[in-house]
Formats: sequence, structure tokens, C-alpha cells
Amino acid sequence: MTNRRENAILAAPLVLFLLAILGFPTVLALVYGVSDTSFQTLTSPEFSGLANFRQVLADPTFWQAAWFSLRFGAITAVLQCALGLALAVYLAPLVRLHGWTVAILIIPMIVAPAMMGLMYRLVLHEFAGPLPHYLYQWLGWSPAFLSPAHVFKTVVVAETLQWTPFAFLLFLTAYQSIPEDLREAAAVDGTRPWRRFWTIELPLMLPTVWVALFIRFIDGFRVFDNIYTLVGAGPGGSTTSMSIYIYETFLRRGEIGKAMAAAILLFVTAFLALALAQRLTRKAAR
Amino acid sequence: MADLRLEHLSKRIGGHSVTHDVSLSVPDGAFCVFVGPSGCGKSTLLRLIAGLEEASAGRILVGGRDVTQVPAWDRDLAMVFQSYALYPHMTVRDNIAFALRSARRPEPEVAAKVAEAARILQLDSLLDRKPAQLSGGQRQRVAIGRAIVKQPKLFLFDEPLSNLDAELRVHMRLELARLHRQLGTTIVYVTHDQVEAMTLATQIVVLRDGRVEQVGSPLQLYDAPDNLFVAGFIGSPKMNLLAATRQGDRLVLPGCGGQSVPLPPLAALPAEGVPLHLGLRPQAISATGAQSLDLVIEVVEHLGSETLVHARAPGSAELVTALVTGGRTLSPGQPFTAGFGTAALYLFDPTGQRLR
Ligand SMILES: Nc1ncnc2c1ncn2[C@@H]1O[C@H](COP(=O)(O)OP(=O)(O)O)[C@@H](O)[C@H]1O
Ligand SMILES: [Mg+2]
Repeated sequence: MTNRRENAILAAPLVLFLLAILGFPTVLALVYGVSDTSFQTLTSPEFSGLANFRQVLADPTFWQAAWFSLRFGAITAVLQCALGLALAVYLAPLVRLHGWTVAILIIPMIVAPAMMGLMYRLVLHEFAGPLPHYLYQWLGWSPAFLSPAHVFKTVVVAETLQWTPFAFLLFLTAYQSIPEDLREAAAVDGTRPWRRFWTIELPLMLPTVWVALFIRFIDGFRVFDNIYTLVGAGPGGSTTSMSIYIYETFLRRGEIGKAMAAAILLFVTAFLALALAQRLTRKAAR
Repeated sequence: MADLRLEHLSKRIGGHSVTHDVSLSVPDGAFCVFVGPSGCGKSTLLRLIAGLEEASAGRILVGGRDVTQVPAWDRDLAMVFQSYALYPHMTVRDNIAFALRSARRPEPEVAAKVAEAARILQLDSLLDRKPAQLSGGQRQRVAIGRAIVKQPKLFLFDEPLSNLDAELRVHMRLELARLHRQLGTTIVYVTHDQVEAMTLATQIVVLRDGRVEQVGSPLQLYDAPDNLFVAGFIGSPKMNLLAATRQGDRLVLPGCGGQSVPLPPLAALPAEGVPLHLGLRPQAISATGAQSLDLVIEVVEHLGSETLVHARAPGSAELVTALVTGGRTLSPGQPFTAGFGTAALYLFDPTGQRLR
């Protein structure tokens, strides 16, 4: 009981600080979300109740964007974690001998995602890009990376290549923190390396796996800059993520109230997902 | 169950020789203890046997089978680690069952063997706990349980008692002795504690700097140490080791005010004037004795029925320790006559080798 009060007192300054910083934009977003607002009426929003939310939920483009973000977040998170885990386990002995190799492996993470998108835009360009050029030269064939048929795969690969190092780094730390004598005990107990991975190492890394999956999913779900600089909203809106949808609604179409309503929906969904994930991990830890 | 043979086993780590040409034969059913000071390479030797380290040279034979190149998981041994190395994400039951499940034994057999091990080690009520919920002694028993279920050819123990408090250590020592009698499996046991070695072993291997100094039964090592190191290491309190030189048929002790004692029976006499070491166990000293040294008591430790006396010749450097029965009236400053027989004397040459 006193513990709870102490916690509240100790957390109060942080909460106040966050409220002060985030409070104003949040209040503004809430106000615009329930108002009929355009750039002309920014200073005098007119209350419109839940009309914006109704409009958003009735917009097929919103649902298309939500579906894109969900798929993109889930697929990239799973790919990155699987690749990152495999790399971490495979490269751990090398890293132990030569620590500096990690620095090379995490370079993609340091590049700004927007730059990454631009770079792929150059490299994959159908007429000017080096990759299609050489594929044509050597194989006489090249997929149209940015065409409606392939663009989803392309952005998934781009995102995965950039952020697998993040998962790798998390898993490497988790892998290295497993006490060596557990592996040795398992070996003496008659367990081959492959089985040792499934029975000892992976279970001990499981909390990290959940955390990595969750972080990468949220990050993928909110994806904006690399996709926007690579293909924009995509052919036929095929790469419109939630963030891109909000951005376009806001700036391109000037429907500020609707954009804010979508942003609030996105936030609430993310918050619920976070709460759920936290509950699940706490349950798993027990 | 199997015997163990090491043939010219060596291990170099980074150009530094950690195990040096170790040859050893441990008979089937023995309780063999590797003992030596910290850092002498005991763990390395044990890990070589387990297959956790690769030998640089030499052979390891378990039950006559050469396992030098066999990976750890195919050697069919069991090891108890100093840290216990329990799998933290598994219950006690799953920890104990782990080796059997790795060997893909049928589940009813696994359950039966786990129950049997739990009964022997009194772990029945703890089977559903995780290692984090156990005390040190309980973890230790789980680690032993994990080793005994698989009925291995050989048990390997690396300082299993060193993380326990003194009382529990004595208790577990008895438990281990009982377990060995009950199972009859060959045990190789590492410790830096010579008391543990003396009380548990049927065969002691004294190690120093990666070399075998002497192999023998506890009493063989106590009664007939081969060299200065073994003499000083085995036995508690430590053997007195005094500087000595031969003059005629007597040994002069410069560290004891130049007093002299007769030579013990020797096959060949050492050269006169060569610096020798004279060994005399504290237990061999009493108030009476054919020979004696005149000393003055410096410190007295009353143990009850026995008394530990530390004394030296006036103005001399070397302290002599004696363990005498009774001795309740002894106190510092009193003169003390340390009596002994010549048969109790050990003589070592300048390189530390025993002269016989
Ligand atoms: N991986 C290693 N790298 C370098 N030196 C080691 C390694 N393992 C052990 N040693 C050295 O080998 C010697 C023996 O170690 P160890 O077998 O652990 O001794 P003990 O168990 O008798 O205390 C020590 O001097 C130690 O420093
Ligand atoms: Mg050790």
C-alpha cells in the first residue's frame, strides 16, 4: 500500500513533465479530432462531434491503410526476428573473438530511413537503376521492383534489411548473457547443439524474442519515411500505411479533423496492443 | 560403471601449459579426488575428461574406450558443476529428467527414474519448483539428482560443496560418501580442500601447476608423502617443515637455535652442508619422546580434548606447531619440550624430493 503511494510520488515529476510536453499537442489533436477543421479555419474549429471518426471508419482507403500497416508490421517483425536470431546465434562465436564486427553489422541501422528509401529509389529505378540494369545484362530479365505486383515485397525487403541488425543486436546480447555452464551442462547431459538451442537457449531468450517482435511490429506498423521516399503512396495506394494515410489526409487533402481522428484511432489501437503485450509478457514471465 | 585411464594428457591454453603430461589410472568403482591449490588445473583436467575442453596431446579412456575425440554429448558421463548450472526455466522435475529426455527414453521410464532419484535425495516435495525458489543445499541436491538419473559411466564433480556453509558442507560430505556406496559408480571429484579429499577419497591425486605430484590412498599420502609439496598439503594442521643440514649422523636445525636431532633411517646419506627440509607432523609431537627440541610457547589454542601449541626456540625464526592431547595447563611464555621419535621424521632434499 505504502509502496504504491511511494511509486506514485516518485513517478509524479515524470508524468507532469510528459504532460507538459505532450499535453498541448494532445489537447489540440483531440479538439481538432472532434471539429470540422481545414487550413482556413485552423483558429476557429467548429465542433462536429464524432463526425470525423465516422468519416474515417467509412473510408475504404483508411481500412486499406490499416490492413497494409498490419501486414507490413507483422511480416517485417517476424522476418527481422527470425533473421536476427539466426545471425546472432551463428555469429556469436565470431563476435566473441572480434568484437568490432558488430559495428559493421549495425551500419544499416544508422542510416536515416528516408535516405534508405531514396537510395532504393535510385538503385531499383526501372530505367536508370543499376540493379535492374545488371539483371537485364546478365539474366536478360528483371522484376519490376516498384510495380504494383512487386512493390509490397520490395518495401518489406527494404525494411527488413535495414532493421534486422536491431533484432540481431538484441538477440546477441541475450545469447551472450546465457551462462556458459548451462550449455556445458546440457552438452554433458547428452544434448547435441541443435537440440540444445531448442531446449535451453531459445527458451532463455524467449522474453527478448517477445520484446523484439513487439518493438519491430510497432515500428513497422507506423512506417512512413522509407516507404514515402521510395514510392510515396504507391501505385493505386498500394503502399499507403497508416502514417502515410494520415499525412496525405492532412496535407494533401487538408482534411485536418479527419486526419486527427485517424491519428487518435491509431494511438488508441497501439496503446491497447501495448497493454495487451505487457500483460502477456508478465504472464509468460511467471 | 567404468574405469578411467589418462595417458600423457596435456592441455595448452594460449601457449601456457595448464595440464602437463598427466597419466593416471582410476579403477572401476573408485572415489578419486583431484586435490591441489586454486589454479593448479584441477577443473581443466575434469573438463578434459568431460569433453568440455579439447586435449592438446594424450588419450582419455573410459571403460577401455578411447573418448579423446568424442564430443561431450556422446561420452555418457555426468557432471555436477560448482555453480550447479541448473536450467532456470525448468522445474526441478524437468531438470532431473533432462538427460533422459535428451536420450529419448520413454516417458514412463523417465517418470520412474526421476521419482527414484527424488526419493534418494529427498527432493520429493520440491519437484514442481523452479531453481530460483530453492536454497543452496537444495540446488546442490538437484544438481546431483540430474547427474544420477542417467546412470552414467562416470560421475564428475567440480568443487560441489564450496558454495555451501560449513555445517551443510559436512552434511553433504556424508551424503556423497553414502551415495557412492549406494550407487557404486566411479567418481572423479575436484576440490581444493584436503579435508574433503581425505574424508571422501579411496584414491587421491595431488596436483600442482598442472602436474601430478602423487597418487595414493588418503593414508598412503599422509604416512608416506613423496615430496615436500604433498607433505605440506595433506594433513591438518600442516606438517612442520624446518630447515636442516647434516653434520655427521645428526641433523642441525639452524631455525631452532642450532639444536640437533638424529638422522631418520635412510638408504643413502645426503651430502653434508646441503640445505635440507625436515618434516614433523604436529600430531607426532608429545611431551614424552626419545628425541626432543627445547622451545618456548608463543600461542596456545585450546580445542577441548586437544591443544594446539605454537612454539619456537628462543630468538629463532621457525615456529613449530604441536597437537597434544590434554595440555589444559599450557600457556604462552612457558618452556615446551617437543618430544618425538626419529621414525616420525621426514627428510626432503633441496628440490623437495623425499629422502628415504
Ligand atoms: N580459458 C582459459 N584461458 C586461459 N587460461 C586459463 C583458461 N582456463 C584456465 N586457465 C588457467 O589454467 C590454470 C588452471 O585453471 P583451473 O583448471 O580452473 O584451476 P583450478 O580448478 O585448479 O582452480 C589457471 O592458472 C588458469 O588461469
Ligand atoms: Mg576450479
